[in-house]
Amino acid sequence: MEITWEDGTKSTYSGEQLRWACPCAECRGEAGVPGRLSRVKTLGDSELRISDVSLVGQYALQIGFESGHAHGLYTFSLLKSLVQ
Amino acid sequence: MTAPSNQQVLEALSRIKDPDLGRDVVSLGMIKELEVSPQGKVSFTFELTTPACPVRDRFKTQAEDTVGEIPGVSGVEVRMTANVRPAFMRTKPSEVLPGVKQTIAIASGKGGVGKSTVAVNLAAALRKSGASVGLLDADILGPSVPMMTGSRVQPKQSNGRLQPIDAHGMKVMSFGHVRPPGEVTVFRGPMVGKMIEELMRLTDWGRLDYLVIDLPPGTGDASLTLGQVIPLTGVAIVCTPQDVATNIAVNALQMFRKLNVTPLGLIENMSWYVCPDCGHRHEIFSHGGAEAAAKRLGVPFLGAIPLEEGIREDADAGTPVVISRPESAGAKAFEAIASQVAARTSIQAFRQLPVISVH
Repeated sequence: MEITWEDGTKSTYSGEQLRWACPCAECRGEAGVPGRLSRVKTLGDSELRISDVSLVGQYALQIGFESGHAHGLYTFSLLKSLVQ
Repeated sequence: MTAPSNQQVLEALSRIKDPDLGRDVVSLGMIKELEVSPQGKVSFTFELTTPACPVRDRFKTQAEDTVGEIPGVSGVEVRMTANVRPAFMRTKPSEVLPGVKQTIAIASGKGGVGKSTVAVNLAAALRKSGASVGLLDADILGPSVPMMTGSRVQPKQSNGRLQPIDAHGMKVMSFGHVRPPGEVTVFRGPMVGKMIEELMRLTDWGRLDYLVIDLPPGTGDASLTLGQVIPLTGVAIVCTPQDVATNIAVNALQMFRKLNVTPLGLIENMSWYVCPDCGHRHEIFSHGGAEAAAKRLGVPFLGAIPLEEGIREDADAGTPVVISRPESAGAKAFEAIASQVAARTSIQAFRQLPVISVH
């Protein structure tokens, strides 16, 4: 996935990188309970392939994966921090 | 003397800069249908980005003067028009509000600051300037727009869509129009968000230059939903001058910043009161709090509105004060603020959101 930011700079992401960065409560954990991504060591291929991306307002992307997982809202600041 | 070329005229006009957009009016594409007659008569259309442009008259004079100074010009005719441009240089229309060019949210940190009154009057002022305007009441639990616009009727339905109600030339839609009269709404948060989305989606807005959205107070579900469902052009925050209100207004602003929604600025309501008996100006809630807060936060201060009995009376009677008493200080304040809002909104038309491609 490639993003062209407002200032013209570009960032590229792999599905794998994005899947492991999923910010949703199930993956990250909440209220002290560890999430799925801290428990599993590997993810299947369909978990890592992007199927659908949609803009959330003007602050985030909702990224869907082929496995059907699409809970994470990736804010632009999160996406920028991933490539720094 | 020979008449000047089109190029010479455009070169002269390119010295006029748009103060808000920071670029010259020729490269912004505002000069259209330029004609120079062999006798040296120059005529063109000056297309503003909003009919509520605060520098409209200045632009006209500047254009007439600048062109008039070119050797060989015997007369200048400037036709002023306006064409609101859609926000964010979108290539395809938004799915939720396809015919709407600009969406302006009116928010506040707390209740009771007159946010709905401001929203109704700003919408009415934009309409008065000649724009096509919609007004969405996103306060699902406490809708006040039907009363303030004198439109307490049920909307008609056709082809499964709601027809907005025409009030003072604006297209108005509120949950207060839809729910059975006299009933109270008791909803949990997620339902509030859902209902706002439905009202936006199901209403047949047609083509609008501006959709003004009156949000409920605070930083809750309604604001979050709105920030997620549509790309908002910007948000104007209403507060009263005292510290307790401006501090809370800051919360609202921070929330919208998190959602990457541009703050159009702060509006100070109930700024002063002129006693009808003694003529003395009282500053009941202190003065200048919003301007100071705006400076602190680095956002524009859009203006101050006086506390006037007429504003309240007319809102209760269903006619915005900008229509019922256009000469009053309150109405003038609303119109000036509407111009500021429109100018800030125009800037967003030249912004581009990040472009995403997957391969």
